[in-house]
Amino acid sequence: MAKRQSVNASDTPLPAGGGGGQAGHQIYDHLELLAAMGQDFASSLDIEASLKRAIQHITEYVDAEGGALFLLDETGETLKCHACEGPSEITGLTLRCDQGIVGRCVQNDIGEIVRDVTKDPGFHAGVDEQTGYTTRSILCAPMRVKDQRIGAIELINKRGGDGLFEESDLHLLQAMSASAALAIHNARQAEALVEQERIARELELAAEIQRSLLPEAGEDDYPVAGVNHAARTVSGDFYDFFPLDDGRICFTLGDVSGKGMNAALMMAKTTSLYRCLGKTVRQPGRLMARINAEICETATRGMFVTMVGGIYDPSTGIVRFANAGHEPPLFHDAEGNFHALPAEAPPLGISPALVDGLEFPETELKLDGGALYIFTDGVTEGYLEDGRELEVGGLKRLIRENAALNVKGKLDAVIDCVDRGDAALRDDLTLLAIDDAVPLDLRAAGGSVVVVKTPQDTLKAAEEGEVLLSLTVPSQADRLKLIRNAVSETARFCGCDKDVSRDIVIAVDEACQNVIRHAYGGSPNGEIVLEIIRRSDALVFLLRDFAESIDVSSVKPRDLDDIKPGGLGTHFMREVMDDVRFMPTPADGGNLLRMVKKLPKGPDNET
Amino acid sequence: MKHEIRDEKDAIVVALEGDVDLQSSPDARKVLLDCVGRKRPVLVDLSAVGYIDSSGVASLVESLQIARKSGNTLVLVAVSEGAMRVLQLARLDKVFTICDTVEDGLKQVRR
Repeated sequence: MAKRQSVNASDTPLPAGGGGGQAGHQIYDHLELLAAMGQDFASSLDIEASLKRAIQHITEYVDAEGGALFLLDETGETLKCHACEGPSEITGLTLRCDQGIVGRCVQNDIGEIVRDVTKDPGFHAGVDEQTGYTTRSILCAPMRVKDQRIGAIELINKRGGDGLFEESDLHLLQAMSASAALAIHNARQAEALVEQERIARELELAAEIQRSLLPEAGEDDYPVAGVNHAARTVSGDFYDFFPLDDGRICFTLGDVSGKGMNAALMMAKTTSLYRCLGKTVRQPGRLMARINAEICETATRGMFVTMVGGIYDPSTGIVRFANAGHEPPLFHDAEGNFHALPAEAPPLGISPALVDGLEFPETELKLDGGALYIFTDGVTEGYLEDGRELEVGGLKRLIRENAALNVKGKLDAVIDCVDRGDAALRDDLTLLAIDDAVPLDLRAAGGSVVVVKTPQDTLKAAEEGEVLLSLTVPSQADRLKLIRNAVSETARFCGCDKDVSRDIVIAVDEACQNVIRHAYGGSPNGEIVLEIIRRSDALVFLLRDFAESIDVSSVKPRDLDDIKPGGLGTHFMREVMDDVRFMPTPADGGNLLRMVKKLPKGPDNET
Repeated sequence: MKHEIRDEKDAIVVALEGDVDLQSSPDARKVLLDCVGRKRPVLVDLSAVGYIDSSGVASLVESLQIARKSGNTLVLVAVSEGAMRVLQLARLDKVFTICDTVEDGLKQVRR
């Protein structure tokens, strides 16, 4: 069942077969075949199809009945037929790498002529038994590139003549095998390159997303700044800071164990948890405990996170933070002395039980014009130009030397010393600083509150506790009854007695009508938002309008000796509530009034 | 808010009913000024006033001032708990003459 089909599978004209022609013509054809095969491999996107065409050409050219091309798989243990030509279709056949004559050829890396397979103990007769074909003689040449074994090409039963392969056939096959090996090797490398480029592109995308998780730099005089340089494309370090609606600034810096993509994913998770929970959980110790529990619940591969998280109040200079196993932050006080503040809790993600109770221990610190530096070990273990590590001493020196710069400038000066752009970084570099110098000046100038503007999702953002009620009503007098009823029911629901409830209703009603009459000037088109938040010890009433901001100093309780109606409502509010104050103007304008009524102690209002 | 004005022998008795708040206090004010404008003693019955706010209290204060100018009296009678609390908060409970019942009020104005 000899086949004589056309082998012009590619566009390249192929030389006619014939191993017995004149020497000059033979070499010419041989070169031409090699050139055609090389071209085919180079231009083809489908290695398997090119292999199929190559084995057709070779079988034809050497004038064999059949041929097969075996490749070692990635384990190097198995030989698999990737293409064959001739009477038996054995594509997909696998052999152990030491099985049959082809296996021996690959093992020994020597081409062979087996004139009579029946006399060769290495011959694997299994294929013939399956196909019914009789193999008489075999010509086999290994394929390799440098030291790398790739596989072998095997030809079966020479046509014509005495049916035996000759030494010249082996030379020819070896030349063609070498060429095919190179082509396969190149094609594999090209494929790997494409894959590498795809991975690189995806990594770049991941890095871009990761960078977007870091906060945008604030204004030049913003008291908090951070910087992160990744040693690889993506980083396992992170920092974040964001303003809370009461003017305080929530901040964090952390380091995920390990590097690369898994660390980057863990970083993304941790920083997202911090940002999300940080807006409502205002105690750093409790916040860290919550994140720890979350990370432990879905812990992967023993990864953990060292992290500092806290809140800075520019109006007082007070920083409160919790440190989960992270490098001790450095406090540089206004006199120029440094203080290290070591961790008092284990890293996050190791065990929820390692921390007593529900909170990580907190450290409170009054910066008083000083600055707090939080950093990863990539900074202190970073190499300086002379090859030595920066160390904490070097960090202190750089901070001192650049004292005249603003907070961002100081961080850049440190980073520039470790990341000079001339060598790959040893580790990710991440630094965060809180500089109280500018807020201190503002405080000294009498500006008691540094208002950091932030968009507000809900009024409640500033408060701990449970939102019991949230009401939005138009600024119309006929809606006050609705508000009174809702407030009354809410107060009773929280265990307030009739009298206390009535007082609360009076105060809230007066606050609402102040909004209608004064803030909105009687216009019925305004909006009033009331939220009632239950804390364990008090009810908090937040009243928001979107009118022009009012001059808080003009809102004063009246002098009771002077019986005039004006200001009576404000007096009621202050009389009833334990605390009444206007909050800093929300970012999107308007006014936010906050009133607190302490709940009486008693079994009825345990929450 | 509803109201009812009765002409008694010794005084005008005006009974307010419902909530006297930002919505209804302009009406309450008109009614009260109308009563004190009649230059006779006025009893304001607050027994059916569930809620009165600062603007309602202001109308009462204004009426009291007008009544006093014309040498008359304005007495609050049967003040409901809710209204009384507001008067206390405003520390006006000592400024107004307050009687428990309409009868007491009438006795008061007869003095």
